[in-house]
Amino acid sequence: MREHSLQSSQTIGIPLTNVVPSAVEQDDILLVAASKNGDQEAFAQLVQRYQRLVFNLVYRMLQQYEEATEITQETFLAAWQGLPSFRGDARFPTWLYRIAYNCSLKQLELRKRDRALQVALEENKTLENANDEQRENAELDAREHQILIQEHLSHLPAKYRIVLILRHLQDMTYEEMAEILTMPIGTIKTHLFRARNLLKERLQSLHRDSDMEYKG
Amino acid sequence: MRCKEASQQLQLYLDNRLTIQQIRTLEAHLASCNACLEELSIFETVVKDLETFKVVAEPDDLNEKIMRRVAIAASQRNTSPSRFSLWPPSLLEILVAATLATIATIGTILQQSSIRSMLPIANGHDGLSLTYLNILHALMNVDSTTLILALWIAGTLIGVCITLIFAGSEIRTQWFKAMMERLPVR
Repeated sequence: MREHSLQSSQTIGIPLTNVVPSAVEQDDILLVAASKNGDQEAFAQLVQRYQRLVFNLVYRMLQQYEEATEITQETFLAAWQGLPSFRGDARFPTWLYRIAYNCSLKQLELRKRDRALQVALEENKTLENANDEQRENAELDAREHQILIQEHLSHLPAKYRIVLILRHLQDMTYEEMAEILTMPIGTIKTHLFRARNLLKERLQSLHRDSDMEYKG
Repeated sequence: MRCKEASQQLQLYLDNRLTIQQIRTLEAHLASCNACLEELSIFETVVKDLETFKVVAEPDDLNEKIMRRVAIAASQRNTSPSRFSLWPPSLLEILVAATLATIATIGTILQQSSIRSMLPIANGHDGLSLTYLNILHALMNVDSTTLILALWIAGTLIGVCITLIFAGSEIRTQWFKAMMERLPVR
């Protein structure tokens, strides 16, 4: 599924990193404390502040708008129910991302189990492959690169996809990613390098194919 | 610097994870090596493409939907009694207590031989008493291995039931589905 063709009306075209200014971080502590005491208005403010970031993380993981909407709701519900156990060792958004990632993984697992859906996806993939062949015949421009990267991203294993999303879409450091994914920095680095190498190899093979086509 | 070493550092270079000295060495190598420069260029393209992904706007009513679910969860938490609270008792607890009290009362009454002989049941000659005596007799005569096996199966079944009762409906449904999938019949 290609986001540009399906969701273009819903993109707002601003860098994701600008959505949350760093000045709000202190305020989070107060809102979390109030939410822990059952203050739903305080929690609503936290939802308002982080829903776009969480939604985009989940959306990039799942690549389906409706599913991302549902899983974002589940993420915040799980956060509300888990607030009593949140001790503030990590920043609130870090903790929230961890929940969002786990909810997304759970959803991906459910998808895997749903054999009927898997068959449907296989059929879609066959259609997409046919489209790919047609597209390879055309000249590659910058926009096509982006579309291809998005498609390749959706086919990467979840552990590679998440590091690319956190690094390049949410502009996180290795340390922040390690905290969210509860992995050593070395593992984060390995996953990130392998993920980018996979994307690079796919781009290179496409270039090779298009060159051969041109020469032929 | 060799190409292999340079290639390993290209991604760290893009992520600003190299020291100034490492950057200088790598850039000196890149200035003289087209293959590594080409590799860097492809990585830059990948990163640039990833970073130009647009933010997708969430549905307008997402906040409202989330808070509706939060409100339901909060009201359930406030109204539903704790699973282990003693008061007020649940319907199930009242039923269990009433059953136990009835059994205890009947037992006490039946202990009195004068009362027992007046009743049409449990006087040693009626159907209920004979069934009870037959079961007792069978248990006394059964061999110990069979008895232990029977008790073990009964204990396991009771354990599974208790676990499922306390695990909640979601786990119960998942367990039931998993069991059905494993059954050889459809």
